[in-house]
Amino acid sequence: MTSGSGPSMKWSRRSVLKGAGLGVAAAAAAPLLAACGSSGGSGGGSASGSSKKVIIGSFQDPAMAPFRDKYVKQYQQETGVQVQYSETSYDAWYQACKSDGLNKTGAYDIYVMDDNWVPEFAAGGIVQNLDKLGLKVNPDILSKGLDQGYWPPKEGARLKAFKNDTPALYSLVIIDDVNLLYYDTRHFSSPPETWDDIYTAMKKKAHPPQLYGWSARGVKGNPVVQTYLPLLNSYGGNFVNDDWSPGFAGPEGVAALERLLTFLPYMAASTPEFDTDQETSLMLQGKCMALTEYTGTAVTEIDNPSDSKVVGKINMATTPKQVKNGPAIGTFICGIASGSPNTDGAVKFLEWFTSDRIQTQFAREGGSAAVTKTALNDPQAVQKYRWLPAIAQSVQLSTPKPRTPDEPKFEDILGTQLNLALVQALQQKGGYDQIAQKYLNVAKGQMQAVLEQNKNIYF
Amino acid sequence: MNRAGRYARWAAIALVIVGSLFPFLWMLSVSLKRQVDIFGGPSLPKQPTLSNYTALFTQYHFGAYLVNSILIVGASVLASLLIGTPAAYALARFRLPRGLNGQALFAALLVRMVPPILLVVPFYIILAKFGLLNTRLGLILLYTGINTSFVIWIMQSFLAEIPTDIEDAALVDGDSRLSALRRIILPLASSGLAATAIFAVITTYNDFLIALTMTSTPAAQTVPVGISTLIGKIQVEWGPMAAGGIIGALPILIFAFIVQRHFVRGMTLGAVK
Amino acid sequence: MAVTTAPVRPSEPGRRPDAGRRAGLDRALPWLLLLPAAITLGLVSVYPIYAGVHASLTTYLYGRPVAGAGLKNYTDTWHDPVFWQAMEVTLKFVLIAVTVETVLGLGLALLVANVVRGARWIRMSILAPMTVAPVVVGVIWRLIYESETGFVNPMFTSLGLGAPNVLSHEGSAFFGLVLVDVWEWTPLLFLICLAGLQSIPQEPLEAAAVDGAGPVRLFFNHTLPLLLPVLAVGVVLRLIDAVGTFDQIFVLTRGGPGTATQLISIYAYNTAFNFTDYGHGAAMLIALLAFAFLLVLVALSLMRRAAKRVAQ
Repeated sequence: MTSGSGPSMKWSRRSVLKGAGLGVAAAAAAPLLAACGSSGGSGGGSASGSSKKVIIGSFQDPAMAPFRDKYVKQYQQETGVQVQYSETSYDAWYQACKSDGLNKTGAYDIYVMDDNWVPEFAAGGIVQNLDKLGLKVNPDILSKGLDQGYWPPKEGARLKAFKNDTPALYSLVIIDDVNLLYYDTRHFSSPPETWDDIYTAMKKKAHPPQLYGWSARGVKGNPVVQTYLPLLNSYGGNFVNDDWSPGFAGPEGVAALERLLTFLPYMAASTPEFDTDQETSLMLQGKCMALTEYTGTAVTEIDNPSDSKVVGKINMATTPKQVKNGPAIGTFICGIASGSPNTDGAVKFLEWFTSDRIQTQFAREGGSAAVTKTALNDPQAVQKYRWLPAIAQSVQLSTPKPRTPDEPKFEDILGTQLNLALVQALQQKGGYDQIAQKYLNVAKGQMQAVLEQNKNIYF
Repeated sequence: MNRAGRYARWAAIALVIVGSLFPFLWMLSVSLKRQVDIFGGPSLPKQPTLSNYTALFTQYHFGAYLVNSILIVGASVLASLLIGTPAAYALARFRLPRGLNGQALFAALLVRMVPPILLVVPFYIILAKFGLLNTRLGLILLYTGINTSFVIWIMQSFLAEIPTDIEDAALVDGDSRLSALRRIILPLASSGLAATAIFAVITTYNDFLIALTMTSTPAAQTVPVGISTLIGKIQVEWGPMAAGGIIGALPILIFAFIVQRHFVRGMTLGAVK
Repeated sequence: MAVTTAPVRPSEPGRRPDAGRRAGLDRALPWLLLLPAAITLGLVSVYPIYAGVHASLTTYLYGRPVAGAGLKNYTDTWHDPVFWQAMEVTLKFVLIAVTVETVLGLGLALLVANVVRGARWIRMSILAPMTVAPVVVGVIWRLIYESETGFVNPMFTSLGLGAPNVLSHEGSAFFGLVLVDVWEWTPLLFLICLAGLQSIPQEPLEAAAVDGAGPVRLFFNHTLPLLLPVLAVGVVLRLIDAVGTFDQIFVLTRGGPGTATQLISIYAYNTAFNFTDYGHGAAMLIALLAFAFLLVLVALSLMRRAAKRVAQ
C-alpha cells in the first residue's frame, strides 16, 4: 500500500469512460499477473493420459503414511506402472471423492474411504461393483473385515430398496482398524477378560488423579459412541435391530451404559470434553490402567518415545466381554471410482496391495493393521509388534455398525445424549441406571423421528 | 489528564496487551514442544524443539501454502478495493433516484450475509464449468467478489463522513470529480482505507471453507486449508498446528504493521479551508 | 444509514464553458462508478442464492437430487426441535458476543486514540488476535481450557477454587466460547472505531472543550453521534459473521457438551455434508440467511434511533 495517496488510480482527468475501462482492466490484469502458472486442473474431467497410470486419492491419516511413503513407490518399481497419490483433510476428501463419483468426472481411479462411507457410495453408484470388474479376492483376508465392503451388508438391517439383493463386493479393505483393549501391564498381570475384571481392578488400585482406572472419549457425537459401542455390543445390545428400530434403549443397552457410568468415579472429571488425544494421553503418561481405542494408538504412539512415557509397558487384547466380545470395526477401505479411467490398473493395484506378500511386509515393517490372517500372525511381525494377534482376534469377533448413509446422523443423535448422560452422572454421582435409561430413551425417540421422516427408504 | 488518570490508562493498556498476547505465547510454547510434552502438563517446553516448524515445511508443504495465500490475497484485495471504492464514493456522494442508495447498500451486503456453506457448492459448479478448480485465479475471482461487498459497505461510511465543502472548493477550482476523489478525498479517508484493507486481508487470508472446497492440491491450497490437514480423522497434530498458527499469522501481522501508519489523523480538515 | 444527502452538483450554466458537458458526465458518473461493482457482486451473489433456494426445494438421496420436495424441507426444519434449539443458542451467542465486542472495542479505541508513545506496538498487540486463522484459534483455546494440561484449571486451583473443567459443562463451555469470540474479534471493532475516531473533525470538539464541556459530555454529545454510522458498519459486519461462526466451535467443542454450543452453522454443516442431506441443510441455511438479514435490519434501526436521540 502506498502511503498517503491511496491505491493508484488509472483514471485520466478528462474521460470518465476511458477511466472506468482502465479501472476494470487494471483490476483484471492484477489477478492474471499474480496467478501465472498454476492450473492444477483436477476435478474437471482431466484425462489421465496413458491408461497405464493409476490415480489414488485419500484423506490424511497416520495409518496411511506407509501406504503413501512406501508402497505406492514400491508398486511402481515392481511393475513399472505409474501411481499418483494425493491426500487432503478428511472432510475435504469426502466431499471431493463423492463429487467426483456422482458426476463421474474421472479424476481418480481409487478412493481410499472410511468404512461408513460404503453404504452411501455403493447405493449411490459412486464406486463400482468389484465382483463385476473381476477383482480376485485374496481368500486369506479376514472375513469380517472383508464383509465391510459388501453391499447390501451380509448381516444386519438392510435398506428397503436393497432388501432382496445379493451382496456384492463394492470396496476392498486395506487396513483393519478395529477396537482394541489397551491395558497397562504394571497393573494387570494377565489380560482382563470381562468388564467385571476391569472394574474390580480399578476399585482396588485406581487413585485419581495420579492413576485413573479407565479413560474414554466423551465428546458428543461420534467420539463418545466409539466409547460406548464395545460395551453395547458385549452386553448383547444392538445399535439398530434388523428392522431398523433403535436397540440401545433396551435392557442390554441401558446396562451397558450404566456400566460405563460406574467407571466415572475412577475417570477424569473432564471426560465429557475428551477426544482421542486427551484420552490416550492419560495412558501415554502412565496414568491410566486401561482403555479401548482403535489400532492407530498402538501402531503409531504406544512405543514411540516422543509420544509415550510407557514404551513397552502397554499390552493389547480384544475388548472385554460380558455375554460376548463386541469390538466395533471401522476399516480403511478402497473403492474404484464410477468414472475411473483405468479400472484394470486399479483392480491390479488393489489385488497387489492385499496379496499375502505385501500384507506380510505391511505388518512386518511398522506393525500396521494388515488384513490377512497370515500377516497378522506372522511370527517375525508379532515378535516386534505385539498387538497384531489382538487385531486378528478382534476383527473376527467384531460387530459392524448400522449400514446406512444416515449412520453419521444416528451417531450424532446417540452421541449427544451419551455426552449429556456423562455430564449428569459426573454431577449426580449415583442413580446411574435411571440416568442411562433417561438419555437412551431421548436418543431412541429422536432416531425414530429420523427414521419416520425417511421411511420410504427404510421400511 | 491527571496523574492518577494516566496511571490508570497505562495499567488498563498493559492489561489489555497481556490478555491479547497471552494465547500467542501459549501457542509459541506448544509449537516448541514434542507431542509427549504437550500433554505432560502446562509448563515451558522441557526439551524445546524446532521439529514442528521443520515438519511444516518439509512434510506439510507449508511453503507452497504461504506463497498461494499471499498471491491470492494480494490480488483479490487490491482488485476489490479498486472496484469497491469508486462504488462506495458514488453511494456516499450522489443521491440516486427512488432511495436506491439504501437498497444498493443492502444488495452489496447480501453476498456477505449468505452463509459461506451455501456459497461453496454453487461456487464449485461455476469454477468447474470454467476449468478454474484448484487454481489461484479461481480463488482470486471469488474472493474479489466477496470482498467488494464489504469494501463498499465500509468505505461508504467513511467517505460519507467527509464534509462536501472541501470537494466543492476543489470542483469550483476546476477539478473533475474523479481527480478530486483521488487528490483530496482518498488521503482524508486513508485510515478508513487502511482499516478496510486490513480487514479484507484478514478475512480473505483466513477463509477456510471456500478455499477448502475449491482446491485439492498444494498447487492452489492456502494456509488455512494446510492447517486443517493437521486435523486428522482421530488426532490433531498439536505441535505442528501451533507452529502453523504462528507462521500463518506472520504475513498478516507484517501487512498490518506496514499499513497502520495510516492511523494517524488524516490531513487536518480545517487546514484545507 | 448514513448516506449524506449531498445534493448532486447543481450545474451553473454560463459559469464555465464545458459546464453542460460536465453536468451530463456528472449525472452518468455515479452509475459508471457503480457498474464494475454491480457486475462483480451480481456474479457472486445471484447464482449462489438461486442455487441455494433451489437445493432447499429438492430431495436428495445418496448425495444426488432425485425429486422436487416442495416445501417439505422447510416444514421438516420448522418441526425439528434441534433446529430451534440451535437457533436459540445462535441468538444468545451472537447478541452477547457482539455487544461485549462493541463495548470493549469502542473502549479500547478511546483508550488508545491519543496515545503517542509506542502507539504502533500497542495497536499491533491489540490487533494480533484477529490475525490468527479461526481453526488455530479454536485449537489454541482448546489447549488453554483443556483440563489436564491447560492453563485455566491450574490457575483456579492455585487460587484455592475448584477446577472448572470449562469444556465439560454446558454453561461454562458456552461462556468459554463467548470469551474466545470476544478475544478474537474485539480487535475488529477496535480497528473500525479507531479509524472512525481518526476521521472525526477535531475542531468542534476543541471548541466545546474550551467552552468547558467535560470528557463524558464531549463523548456523548459530540464524538458518539459522529461515530455511530461507522460503528454501525462494524456491528453489522460482526453480527453477520458471528451468525456463521464455525471453525472455532467445531475444534473447541464440536457443538457440545450436549448441544450447549451447537450453533445453526454447525448443525447445518453436519446435516448438509456429513449426514448427506443437502436439501435439509440448504433449507436451514436459507433460514439462517433470513435470520441474519433480520438481525441486521433490527440493529440498524436501533442504531439509527440511538443516533437521533443522541443528536438532540
